[in-house]
Amino acid sequence: MAFMQNDEDTVNEFNQYVKPVSLWADAWKRLRRNRMAVISLWIVGFYVLVTLFSPLLQSAGILKSYTEQYIDHQNLRPSFKPAGELVIERLEARLAQLEESIASRGAAGDTSYSSGTGFDFGPAPEIVFDDEEGGESEGTAEAEAEAEAETEQTEEAAFEYTYIDSVQEELDRTKAEIESLRNTIHTDPIHSRVYILGTDDLGRDMLARTIYGGRISIMIGLVGTLTAVLIGILIGSISGYVGGMTDNFLMRFVDIMYSLPYMLVVIIIMSIAGNKGRGSIVILFVAIALISWLTIARVVRGQIISLKNSEFVEAARSMGAGTPRIIFRHLLPNTLGVIIVFSTLLMPSFIMQESFLSFLGLGVSAPQASWGTLVSEGVRGMELRAWQLLVPAITMTVFLFCMNFLGDGLRDALDPQSKNRG
Amino acid sequence: MARFFIRRMLSLVPTLFIIVTLSFFLIRVAPGGPFNRERDIPEAILQNILKRYHMDEPLMKQYTRYLGDVLRWDFGPSLKYRDRSVNEMIDNGMPVSAILGVSALSLAVFLGVGVGIISALKQNKWPDYTAMSMAVVGISVPLFVIGPVLQLFLAIRLKWFPPGQWLDDHGLKAIILPAVTLAFPYFAYIARLTRASVLEVLRSDYIRTARAKGLKESVVIAKHVLKGALLPVVTYLGPALSGIVTGSVVVETVFVIPGIGRPFVQAAINRDYTLIMGEVIVYSLILVVANLVVDLVYGLLDPRISYK
Repeated sequence: MAFMQNDEDTVNEFNQYVKPVSLWADAWKRLRRNRMAVISLWIVGFYVLVTLFSPLLQSAGILKSYTEQYIDHQNLRPSFKPAGELVIERLEARLAQLEESIASRGAAGDTSYSSGTGFDFGPAPEIVFDDEEGGESEGTAEAEAEAEAETEQTEEAAFEYTYIDSVQEELDRTKAEIESLRNTIHTDPIHSRVYILGTDDLGRDMLARTIYGGRISIMIGLVGTLTAVLIGILIGSISGYVGGMTDNFLMRFVDIMYSLPYMLVVIIIMSIAGNKGRGSIVILFVAIALISWLTIARVVRGQIISLKNSEFVEAARSMGAGTPRIIFRHLLPNTLGVIIVFSTLLMPSFIMQESFLSFLGLGVSAPQASWGTLVSEGVRGMELRAWQLLVPAITMTVFLFCMNFLGDGLRDALDPQSKNRG
Repeated sequence: MARFFIRRMLSLVPTLFIIVTLSFFLIRVAPGGPFNRERDIPEAILQNILKRYHMDEPLMKQYTRYLGDVLRWDFGPSLKYRDRSVNEMIDNGMPVSAILGVSALSLAVFLGVGVGIISALKQNKWPDYTAMSMAVVGISVPLFVIGPVLQLFLAIRLKWFPPGQWLDDHGLKAIILPAVTLAFPYFAYIARLTRASVLEVLRSDYIRTARAKGLKESVVIAKHVLKGALLPVVTYLGPALSGIVTGSVVVETVFVIPGIGRPFVQAAINRDYTLIMGEVIVYSLILVVANLVVDLVYGLLDPRISYK
């Protein structure tokens, strides 16, 4: 039926072929003229494709697993060199440092190891003892375990243990490590892994983690937007079309919800979901989508009210169409442009909100990770390992950037005389 | 005016009542309590603990008790930090958060309006392009990315600012980075809003009239354009403030600021119910009162709105 109509439309009353210029074709033409929007569209498409096909990429061997941990490979910097070489480089740097430390201590004649701290190794730029960060440090560095063992020892027999001994011990161990690495580097395939974007503090590939984080973030953005749009359309169109008491009741409800501090309510919901529930993405969806439909509902209601007295609605009604048919067949398609614009602008805000919660530790939790989780993990060690912060942060920012540009572009294209252009 | 003010004040009461009620029941109805541990506590001890927090009473009685307490501005003891009351924690953090929030908001408003006007007056010239690309960055980049990145480069690498410590140790310098971080998104939005509305007002008839009268351009801008153009900005202040309040939670976490935001996050993670409730009430009060102020200012600026 719908197809038939379209075919008839392409011929005018003089039987001439008319190329129809629909709103959509028109909008598409305008959008294509906006260069930033087109570039953004490509980039967003790229993100979606990569995150969508990341399991395929992984099974094809292009992408590494985001859960695989190699303790040897923790905190490697971004590089095109194989991991083995990087580890050796790092160990050699550490070796030089230890030697220097021994030399200077020896020269100062300060051999006794003063009480208390087991961490007094002199400057150690690559290995950080972030004990107080807790939580994530299941894959503790050998050195850290050593240090802990050492504190215990010092408590038992503090004066038998001297500083030089401990440094000497580590020196020997580092030497042995380098030696064994040199032997295995060409035979063990693990050491030939290349981490273009470095690794995190558990030796996981940052590239894979960022892509999988994007997968979750984008998914939450999409699902959240879809739910919000569906609820918003339903409530908004009923409220707008039916009017009267229903409208009054629904809109007062929306007003009250509006006056609630949105993020605080979401935080309460995440908090009462508790430790078990907190990790679950479903609750996050529910919490965010529960409140986010308000704006859409208002917008749709406004549009419907302005359209419901127009002639085509009158015509439909006189032909006997029921309320649902008028709403869904006649009114909603006419508000679609506004809804699309709002959804594109809603999605980045969802992603931001989800990441906001994850950043605070109230959103997605391990083993899953969203961009927000990755950024918050990166913040912990950013002084020494800036890439762990910058890689997810930049990836996320670029995506949000493009979504915003795309939203602006769509608004200009679909709604050229829009008043509220910020 | 006075009648409007009183009516508007009274309309705050149901909003706050709903917030208190909603959060109270949301929290109490949820399965599992703050005293659920991995290790089972003996029944008698659990009963004693529940009794101490009046959690053994029927729900409605707890609710009315809590309402009474809130009316007396008493939020009860924290469930996690046994020796501190929620009031104490909020009182301690409040000045710090207030300084941060107010400085961020004023930064956002003054810089935003200033930059917006300049870029509208120099439309499609380089100041406009620079300002607007900065604004796009501000809108797209989340707070928790801006914060750590500024901290990393300006505080840790370049050492221009202290990375975390609050006023006591570093004086006013410590406030700059957190306030800038918090203000940035709202600065960006206000700048865009001001630009758009100044451009629109510049095209209007009364501006042409003002110019035709031979007024100086500076007078036209300051007296005629601004008054009309600032209206959308004033409307945006409500959402901006609410964003700054929620954003301060992140900024306080990133910059280790002893405000009320950090205890709030901790409370949410620890399920410290009394603390969550207290914080939510305080935050809501700030937001609701701020919205009232915005409404009043709006009426003062726009003569078309009359208080009847």
